[in-house]
Amino acid sequence: MAENKEEQLKAIRKKLKELLVSHLSLEDVVPEKIKDDEILFGEGLGLDSLDAVEIVVLLQRNFGLEVKDMSQGRKIFYSVDTLANYIYDNQKK
Amino acid sequence: MPNSSSDKKIAAQKRGNRLGFWFFETLLKFFGLRGAYALLYLVCLHYLLFDRKAVANALAYVKRRFPGAGFFKSRLEVYRLFISQGKQLIDRFAMISGKTKFDIQLKGYEQLKNLLEAKDKGFVLLTAHVGNWQIALTTLKKMAKPVYLVMRQEDNAAVKESLHIDTQDTLIRIISPEGYLGGVVEAMQVLKEGNIVSIMGDRKYGFPAVEIAFLKDKAYFPFGAFSIAASNNCPVVVLLSAKLGQNKYVVDVSNIIYPRYNSSKEKREQLKVYVQEFADILDKYAQTYPYQCFLFHDVWNPD
Repeated sequence: MAENKEEQLKAIRKKLKELLVSHLSLEDVVPEKIKDDEILFGEGLGLDSLDAVEIVVLLQRNFGLEVKDMSQGRKIFYSVDTLANYIYDNQKK
Repeated sequence: MPNSSSDKKIAAQKRGNRLGFWFFETLLKFFGLRGAYALLYLVCLHYLLFDRKAVANALAYVKRRFPGAGFFKSRLEVYRLFISQGKQLIDRFAMISGKTKFDIQLKGYEQLKNLLEAKDKGFVLLTAHVGNWQIALTTLKKMAKPVYLVMRQEDNAAVKESLHIDTQDTLIRIISPEGYLGGVVEAMQVLKEGNIVSIMGDRKYGFPAVEIAFLKDKAYFPFGAFSIAASNNCPVVVLLSAKLGQNKYVVDVSNIIYPRYNSSKEKREQLKVYVQEFADILDKYAQTYPYQCFLFHDVWNPD
């Protein structure tokens, strides 16, 4: 089960990185270069609020997910890893 | 929306105190609008002479709206701006107290009604530091839909109490731009639920901006409202108001912008055209109502 979960998380992380690169204004960044635990906003990948809008849309269109509990926002949007975990946990339901 | 994920408190200079507001309230009670207005001439003279920062902020606009004005003429225009804004604050105060009746014309409400009927989709209400946006919002109560204002919580207790910004109406709610990602995720969600999100379109407050032309000079306006609207496939309704006479206002919602992306590339560049459209609307407003543009901020400074 644990291995299966890790496989799925790995696939989600890969897809997320590809979507981030194709939809956000990331210059000279390839999906493979984004670290799983790299901070997305501000320092790290350096995304801004326009990118946040895009990520919200990406979650809706590609994973059918909405972020309704804003108290969880900081935790969810922290890195590719945290986003992937959110997708994994909520797609299962 | 802020570039940084850190929740930096957006700096704001505090003007006005409880005693001052009490004084205006008392004048309003005993002498009506004219009595309260009369005191403004002294108060504004004080700001003109001693509040260098306020004057400098106003001059950024005055220099561009009144090109060629010399030292004394430009200060006179600043003084007129201060008085004009003071009058509108008193009007707002008088309106809330219910003691003074105002004649408020609503321009463009028919178009807005069509948008309001689309129950499953909200829209962005784009405002600016012009006219009396508090009166404008109060007028739109008849929309009977929750309006989420993306604005700092007023941290000057005296101003907050006197203007009843977030206590007067349960349909008006606040999304703080000081929250995580400038409240953008929250704004996206409430729009999706069919509500209205109101955003100030003429001040960056640390949010990403694009270069546009405003009053014949390069200026920098934020594009957050347009990116939210484009991503949600919803329109941007420009909300403006202007004082036409002592007890008369017009609230204008006739300008509607439909931001859309043509491709997934260079989205910021694509939004620029819509931000310019908004700036052109404000430019026209400034030509018509030169003493009702209360920017008090150097929007022409890229920093």
